[in-house]
Amino acid sequence: MMDQKVIALPIEKTTLIGQRVKKPDAPDKATGKTRYINDMLLPQMLIGKILHAGRPHAEIVSIDVSAAEMLPGVHGVLTGKDAAGLKFGFVRDNVALKEKVCCEHDEVAAVAAETEEIADQALRLIKVQYKDLPGIFSPEDGRKTDAPQIHDSFPENKSLHFEFRHGDLSAAEAASDFIVDDVFRVHHVTHCCMGTSCAIADFDDNGKLTIWSQTQYPYNYKMDLAPALGIHPGDIRVIQPPVGGAFGSKLDVYPYEPIAALLARKTGRPVKVIYSREEEFRSAPTRQAAVIHMRTGCTRDGTLTFRSADVLLDNGAYTSWGPTIPVVMMRTTSGHYRVPVIDFNAQAIYTNNPYAGSFRGYGNVQTTFATAQQMDMLAEQLDMDPLEFHLKNAQKSGETTPQKAFLRECALDECLSTAAQASDYTKKQKQYALERDQEGRYKKGIGLASAIHNAGGAKIHKSDGCGTILKVDDYARVTVITGASEIGQGIDAVINLIVAEELGVPLEHITIVNNDSDIAPWDVGVHASRTTFIAGNGARRAAVQARKQILNAATRITGMPAEDLDLRGGFVVQDSSGTKVIKLEKLLRRMHFQPEPELVMVTDYYEPNSEPEGADHISDHSAAYAHAVHVAEVTVDTYTGEVKVDKVTSAQDVGRVINLMGLEAQIEGGIAIGLGYALSEEMRLENGMLQNPRFRDYKVLTAPEMPQLDLHFIESDCSEGPYGAKGASELPTIVIAPAIANAVYNATGIRFRNPPLTPEKVSRAIWEKQQAAREN
Amino acid sequence: MSLKTEINFRLNGRPVTVEVPVTMKTLFMLRDVLDLTGTKYSCGEGECGACTIRLDGETVNSCLMYAVDCDGREVVTIEGLKTAEALHPMQQAFVDHGAIQCGFCMPGMIVQADYLAENNPELSREEMCRGLEGNICRCTGYTKVLDAIAAVVESGQ
Amino acid sequence: MHVIENRYNQVMSEIKNYLSPHRLDDAVKAMADGDVTVLCGGTDLTPQTDDGLKEYAGTLMNIRRIDGLAGIDLTDGKLRIGALTTVTGIMKDQLLNELAPVLIEAADQFASDQLRNASSLGGNICNASPAGDMIIPLLVLDAAVELASWQDDTLQTRLVPLDEFFVAPGKTVKQDNELLTAVIFDKPADAFVARFRKSGPRPALEIATVSIGAGGKLGNGSFKNVRVAMGSVAPTPLRARRVEAALEGKPLDADSIKAAVIAACKDATPIDDVRASAWYRDHLVRVFTEEVLNHVLENRN
Repeated sequence: MMDQKVIALPIEKTTLIGQRVKKPDAPDKATGKTRYINDMLLPQMLIGKILHAGRPHAEIVSIDVSAAEMLPGVHGVLTGKDAAGLKFGFVRDNVALKEKVCCEHDEVAAVAAETEEIADQALRLIKVQYKDLPGIFSPEDGRKTDAPQIHDSFPENKSLHFEFRHGDLSAAEAASDFIVDDVFRVHHVTHCCMGTSCAIADFDDNGKLTIWSQTQYPYNYKMDLAPALGIHPGDIRVIQPPVGGAFGSKLDVYPYEPIAALLARKTGRPVKVIYSREEEFRSAPTRQAAVIHMRTGCTRDGTLTFRSADVLLDNGAYTSWGPTIPVVMMRTTSGHYRVPVIDFNAQAIYTNNPYAGSFRGYGNVQTTFATAQQMDMLAEQLDMDPLEFHLKNAQKSGETTPQKAFLRECALDECLSTAAQASDYTKKQKQYALERDQEGRYKKGIGLASAIHNAGGAKIHKSDGCGTILKVDDYARVTVITGASEIGQGIDAVINLIVAEELGVPLEHITIVNNDSDIAPWDVGVHASRTTFIAGNGARRAAVQARKQILNAATRITGMPAEDLDLRGGFVVQDSSGTKVIKLEKLLRRMHFQPEPELVMVTDYYEPNSEPEGADHISDHSAAYAHAVHVAEVTVDTYTGEVKVDKVTSAQDVGRVINLMGLEAQIEGGIAIGLGYALSEEMRLENGMLQNPRFRDYKVLTAPEMPQLDLHFIESDCSEGPYGAKGASELPTIVIAPAIANAVYNATGIRFRNPPLTPEKVSRAIWEKQQAAREN
Repeated sequence: MSLKTEINFRLNGRPVTVEVPVTMKTLFMLRDVLDLTGTKYSCGEGECGACTIRLDGETVNSCLMYAVDCDGREVVTIEGLKTAEALHPMQQAFVDHGAIQCGFCMPGMIVQADYLAENNPELSREEMCRGLEGNICRCTGYTKVLDAIAAVVESGQ
Repeated sequence: MHVIENRYNQVMSEIKNYLSPHRLDDAVKAMADGDVTVLCGGTDLTPQTDDGLKEYAGTLMNIRRIDGLAGIDLTDGKLRIGALTTVTGIMKDQLLNELAPVLIEAADQFASDQLRNASSLGGNICNASPAGDMIIPLLVLDAAVELASWQDDTLQTRLVPLDEFFVAPGKTVKQDNELLTAVIFDKPADAFVARFRKSGPRPALEIATVSIGAGGKLGNGSFKNVRVAMGSVAPTPLRARRVEAALEGKPLDADSIKAAVIAACKDATPIDDVRASAWYRDHLVRVFTEEVLNHVLENRN
């Protein structure tokens, strides 16, 4: 728990919390000065390039690299035998270089050369003989009894399995007056980070590895990378230069990284591996695709009775963080609204498709697409005002879910009411439903969806903590060394703000160091919307320690009690009057240059008071939970099938707004990614091969397609979060897609269970509906 | 080795002479020969706009343009916008309005935004959106980018 | 220290010669042996060479500095657009805005600012994509292309009507020793009205899923000299002859438009590809034919 002594700054006295704070690295990014990892050069650096198999399932009969090795300018060529036995990955099913091909982008060889041109030429000189094997391109096919086995260690292509049950399902089914039963097929999409994947590796003469990486989880990254190289994790130094996005794609080790290191080890020189955009599309991890068979029941008066989900996951060729999403999927199944009986089952099956990692919204995007639409469907069957139905089943503060998630501060009902009122949802929903079958090319629709997500971390690892080291120097300049990674999301601005608030120093006098694992303390990584909450709490605790030390020193020097003092504008001041007592930097120098010197150097490790996720999946695994509600307003062109999103009204429980500008930015960006998922993004795989590996054919959102946004922030004042804040950045991506699907239903009367709702898909469904109506 | 030729052009206000392979693209000349890494490679096929530069006052995708075509022309990159004393107003606006997150797309975005604002002092929000069609951002949802441009247009800079 | 990264220039080019002529004579002379790759804005050449779809010839010739190949003028009732005119140049041109607004409509829906600024009309035509954004309105305007070559010790030109220019996707009747120098069409009659419509998942930055242009003389009770062109529904940009026949000489009204829509589906022979299915293209052909003809009707001068 937070140190509640009077010396900590209470919320009423804050001046920066809730303000708009600029991102400290923005000026350099605006001028092009920032050197991203993609821009980096090191002395004597070689370029590493990978030969990808280009076929989904094959034995490598022979591989001849002799011509490549002899090409002038080539310093090293590696193949599968150089990585044999060095298994890595969640279930140790992957190696850096393959001796068998299990998916299109599998890495069969790698070269390091003096220029990219030479590396490309060398790749062309490598001769590989393949024996193609029959491929598996869906989990349904992977389960068949005659299906070829992809990995020796995983019979029947069975990968991970998860289940959770609570209560008597048959009794709940029997007690239900309405049951909706649907299969949702959610698709492969990819992160499209603007900076393509890149790693630079260099071994020193003691055999220690330095790797410049885009990773967003630097410490466990060492643990995951080490086995791929046969070295000790402690001998890996991870440096994190600025990156061009991550969004979850860098929460695991992917083969290009150990390949860079293996090439560096082989050649004795630094090696940079960087993907082209086409390579990125084909090789980067995807969002997890799934077939979700979901059933939700309720009684006549609108009380939810049960929710069951049977999920089949396309594991892809290797197991990364995609197939672990059921841990979150079941949380949504059991926690999205008050549901007394739960039955959840998920099975991942290996295929020869590209494989999935984490992606913003992690499993909740997929599940809420189903749960939020089923809520919409039940409301219709009940002929009940949808808002009333949602509110009836919305949990209140203090409730616990069947998985023991404790909703200490819950603002779902406030989010529902706020969003519905601001958008005039109830009236429009009725009106558009009535207008649906009238003549007219353009149909308006409005759809509401809510979501619940972790907002205080997720204790799925041995620790969910973050370390912070803080020092204040003789000029009252503060350095905060945090384990939290900055991936563009703005934790730098948040920490700046918190520390400036507690220590009363200008924002510009704070430096954040967080990009070297030799220097910064442990953090589990950027995921689960945890960084503001956990790193923010860590920074606050460290700053409060420093504040306490400073004010105690001020007491000794001035005789004024610490409770009567404050830190403001670079001064120690008298709290009630604001009168300046002593300049902070002067005080610090006096503390330093005394017979027993006292410097301000504090450390903190913040472990949230959540419970570890156990095998039974019953635990309060996050220190907080939050809700968001989106109301989406669309116009459907029933001729072309184009869905134009006119407006999105969002009401989100953020606990407390810390950096208003950064928070808005994260919500806006999260919505954009979710809109792409809902309407236009799709990896077109045919027999495991990606047909659209370019922006021309893979549609991410551009400026003209962004709707008008009306954002509302509900401050539930989370008792555990920094100044009451909760995590926020995944919810917008999670909740927008079902809001869109519900809106399109309102406009057209057609329920779309398989995103994306492309113009072709929508126009075809409308046409088929019209055909069916004509035939009757 | 590829055939090379010498070109002379003005780059960010200064004359430059450089020898380039005839098939090299302007983007890679800027990044790899001239060490101006502000302009980014993100797709290499003119779809994402991260490589946007000003060529004789108009914006183009430098990843498509052959470097030899710079000969005799005026090239301005993101590095050429600011003065020694201050950020360019468009750059400052992007900072002030929180339009920058990971920032990778921003050099191209800012160059394009500046071009739009310069060409049309009465740029509407809709025209701004259309003008940014060729610039992809994955972080921001474009909202604060538009706010920043609107602020510059309004202030008449 | 510089690492030269020619990303995507994988094939070591066999280019032995680089030219950047200022005179048309010199340019076509250099092309006489047919061993020249023409370089302009690079918007098509870059992706094609990067993907290995095209190989460089012995000489790379930059045509952007040739005098007299840009610019638009009206002489003797003929509009002439120089091949080097960019799509932006077309959009901003006073004459074209007044006399051939359908070209402006297509230019406005062409890609992004950056691509409009770099794409030359000559390049768009020679690229011969079945989508051919700028080609569709030019077909409606009955345009012809001027091809220049060096023969018998002199500069020679020939005109090829645009609807005879395209042979197959990416292939035209232009010979390797010829340079496309201009696009020419008669100044449209006062009663001439033409409109253009294109689609694709992202409104502008698109290789069209379907595009349609239609125009003709809208007079008292009749629509004459009808020209209808379609993109992305056939191997080459298509003159929709059946649609034209269904409309020619008749009043432009709901009935003739209905007939035109039926004819459109007979003219169009779209395929399935990664961007759209044949079904959806056919569907859009119907929708757009009706839309474009209605726009023509609304636009009557």
